[in-house]
Amino acid sequence: MKTTIGRRGFLAASGAAVAALGLPHIAKAQAKSLKIGVYGGYFKDSFDKHIFPEFTKASGIAVESIAEPTGAAWLVQLEQAARARQAPADVSMIAQTSMLKGMTVDLWAPLDLKKIPHAEAVLPHLVNKYPDGRIAGVGAVSWYITLVSNTKVFPAAPTSWAEMWDAKLKNQLGLLALVNNSFLLEVTAATFFGGTKVLDTDEGILKVMAKLAELKPNVKLWYRDEAQFEQALKAGEIPMGQYYHDVTSLAAGDGQPVRSTFPKEGGINDAGSWAVSKASTALDAAQVFIDYMSQPKIQALLSRKVGTSPTIPRKLTDLTDAEFAAVSSEIPPIIPRYDLYQAKEDWLAQKWTELIVG
Amino acid sequence: MSGLVLDGIAKSFGTVVALHELSLTIPQGKFVCLLGPSGCGKTTLLRLVAGLDLPSAGRIRLDGADITDLPAHRRDFGMVFQSLALFPHLSVGENIAYPLRIRGASKADQAAEVTRLLDLVRLPGIADRPVSRLSGGQRQRVAIARALALKPKLFLLDEPLSALDAKLREAMQIELKLLQERLGITTIVVTHDQREAMTMADLVVVMSAGRIQQAAPPVEVYCHPVNAFVADFIGTTNLLQGQVVAPGRLGLPAGEISVPGLPAGGATAISVRPENLRLHAEGGGENRVAACVTFIRDLGATVEMRLDAAGQELILVMPPADLPELRPGAGVFVELPAAACVVLSP
Amino acid sequence: MIRTAPRRLVDYAPIAWPALMLVLFFVLPFGLMLAVSFFRRVPGGFYQPDFVLANYARFLTAFFGNVLGFSLGLALLVAVIAVALAFPFTYLLSRMRRRQQVPWLVFLLAVLSLSEVIIGFSWSTLLSRTAGVTNLLVLIGLMDQPVSLSPGFGAVLTGMTYQAFPYAVLVLYPSLSRLDPTLTEAARTLGASPLRSFFTVVVPALRNAILATVIMVFVFALGSYLLPQLLGRPQQWTLSVLITDQAIYQSNMPFAAAMAVFLVLVSLALVVLSTLLGQKEGRT
Repeated sequence: MKTTIGRRGFLAASGAAVAALGLPHIAKAQAKSLKIGVYGGYFKDSFDKHIFPEFTKASGIAVESIAEPTGAAWLVQLEQAARARQAPADVSMIAQTSMLKGMTVDLWAPLDLKKIPHAEAVLPHLVNKYPDGRIAGVGAVSWYITLVSNTKVFPAAPTSWAEMWDAKLKNQLGLLALVNNSFLLEVTAATFFGGTKVLDTDEGILKVMAKLAELKPNVKLWYRDEAQFEQALKAGEIPMGQYYHDVTSLAAGDGQPVRSTFPKEGGINDAGSWAVSKASTALDAAQVFIDYMSQPKIQALLSRKVGTSPTIPRKLTDLTDAEFAAVSSEIPPIIPRYDLYQAKEDWLAQKWTELIVG
Repeated sequence: MSGLVLDGIAKSFGTVVALHELSLTIPQGKFVCLLGPSGCGKTTLLRLVAGLDLPSAGRIRLDGADITDLPAHRRDFGMVFQSLALFPHLSVGENIAYPLRIRGASKADQAAEVTRLLDLVRLPGIADRPVSRLSGGQRQRVAIARALALKPKLFLLDEPLSALDAKLREAMQIELKLLQERLGITTIVVTHDQREAMTMADLVVVMSAGRIQQAAPPVEVYCHPVNAFVADFIGTTNLLQGQVVAPGRLGLPAGEISVPGLPAGGATAISVRPENLRLHAEGGGENRVAACVTFIRDLGATVEMRLDAAGQELILVMPPADLPELRPGAGVFVELPAAACVVLSP
Repeated sequence: MIRTAPRRLVDYAPIAWPALMLVLFFVLPFGLMLAVSFFRRVPGGFYQPDFVLANYARFLTAFFGNVLGFSLGLALLVAVIAVALAFPFTYLLSRMRRRQQVPWLVFLLAVLSLSEVIIGFSWSTLLSRTAGVTNLLVLIGLMDQPVSLSPGFGAVLTGMTYQAFPYAVLVLYPSLSRLDPTLTEAARTLGASPLRSFFTVVVPALRNAILATVIMVFVFALGSYLLPQLLGRPQQWTLSVLITDQAIYQSNMPFAAAMAVFLVLVSLALVVLSTLLGQKEGRT
């Protein structure tokens, strides 16, 4: 019974896409269930509530959602399981640096874009490619880290990342503590060195770090725990810093004295991608899922319900100005140099730690 | 006056009265035993004297000075605890030198004093030993030496010998008494052992239920107990209930006897020590009552005989040589000499 | 001395369970960590079984030397302060009536059950300028304006001492409640004031318990990684914080393992050393 309803729902919902995919594929996919890894906590809860039931209804593919641990732990688990030809999840939401790491060991099954027609609209920097051009992942969700401030302490909104260097802000900033989650090298490069190209060489990176070192007296808290900074920002204890645009917008909407500003240099655009473990036997169903997620109306739904920025151009979605502004901006973003965190990970981490601890 | 005066002392813990109001004078240089069963308040009284607890009422004076509110560490009394309370982290010498060290005595003075005190308690040359490696008797002596290091005005001991075996305890009793006589120090010992009290004390203070029952020299306590509790607690005795039938005449179930110091009338109890009873084959003499032998046991040094005198049990002790040919069930006459009959207050 | 040496496997049965537990919960995890610390780091990826010393070599720099020194010093300071506060507290507690002790012990257990995160957040609020204790001082006129006391060294020290305090009390409690109360009374009759008797009798009589507690709290504090990052500036990040960063954020397990092995060995050496010193002192 369930299968029939699911199939009808899927047929009704997918429209033209179904025709392109062809019936044999659907017949194969619908018999399956899919294990999907999503960041535990907020993301998993939101997906379980707003996304997965609708997907099952539309595709007939049952979903078993799995909470991913933070950091690289999930990647390590996937990699070790893959060696044993096991897949703890068929398709997972993977951070960009982890995507690159997975590529070095061929962990991700190459995706067939023909079977993911909606992926064509996904912004180019959110499609992960192997060096030889094979597709390793497709953007799942994207979000912005912006310049946030307390409106009581700073009645006027800041306009540039450069304002963080102002000597008047001594001991007033809250910044993310790690080189590969704060993306402050990119921010500094974009603000003072005309873009992130300067980071191509070690000398360039050290120059950027020297500029960043000037910021240190202004930093009160280098945070790993997001809630700690959020609380301090709302209270005005730490009135300025970098934080997630969507969460800050939500707090401002709740009447908290905080604001999120896209500086003129752009907000930091970070993202998670859908990637399939090479040990998975459900590649086809996974591609059906990725295609489903890339649809404009699902991207719009994610923006409204989960607070993520669309992975496709705004004009394809039906988001209103206000809805779009709550999750994104038209200002060109600062795109993190994930390649650096892949190629020079240990060196960068060491220099970074010495920079802020020293 | 010189000596310790307890004036109207009382002590309560919450609603529990540990000591009812009592007064006691202990003259300088005397050896006093506080004697009584456990829970009678004797240790409480000692702790009040030591200053470890404060009395709920009353004053304590020493040589005329009021010391009631003086904290324990400024009283300069030597005290030996039941647990001995030797400091486990210090050697024998350091334990004994502790009060001197606290008062800032020089190392040389401390060493000299330790040597003197160890000689005094007849344990020379063990100053460097850890206290954990001492025998029970040695620990006892070290505790005494430590308490005496201050040349205290008052020497207090709480059941000091209770942890020792019977033989060692007797030896220590004598030694302690001799030591006290030599030093002439006013000493108060708490004990529940009446033999110990009789051995050492100049003054025995018999206590029961938070009150002093009798305070007197040992022989007087033994021979002239004031009440049934004292008579019964000190040694073995015959407690006999009777009716005063005429001036100086007490009616017992087995017959009338003469007893000096009887009240004018009414029910009265007397105490007669077993060794004072005399056995006779015939009646008719003064203070003789008929009795029936119920039990005889020969303890070697003495013979104890139990008799029934018209429902009252009598205990009689005599040297084995005096024991006549008797078997349980035999009828005899027992003499209760008038001089040995002590009238007890109710 | 064993009179008959165990001959058959069955003779070893009595120690089988503890041995199994020791292997399961200590030897195996530590062995794994030791093995990983010699594995080869694959840059930008994972690690491969190997035997390389690079992970240890990377650690042997002035930078990590400083961090290690700070971590050991901080843990020791926390241990000393926590025990210095806990010892008199526990002494007074153990002298209370049993009925009055129970609520205190329950309270301490409740503090123990608090997670490090909650403790960190509470202290960062308590030490903040906007909602912290200094507002009270301003209110009663002791300060002109509220100041922020966190993040900083004082905040880390306060938070970690707070967290260590109930451990210290509960470790000290058995020895202190077994302490013969007549020892202090004896000291008082021998002329020592209550304070003096506390320092000349109670403290030295329990010095082994104190040393053991300091060691336990020291080891406990050495593992703390949330409070230094919640309440501290980067200068107060301990080696445990850096180990966590390497393990979780940099996925550099071999280096994290090498640092952890080093930390375990150094603290083990310190513990052995202080125990030996304690014994030596105890004998004289």
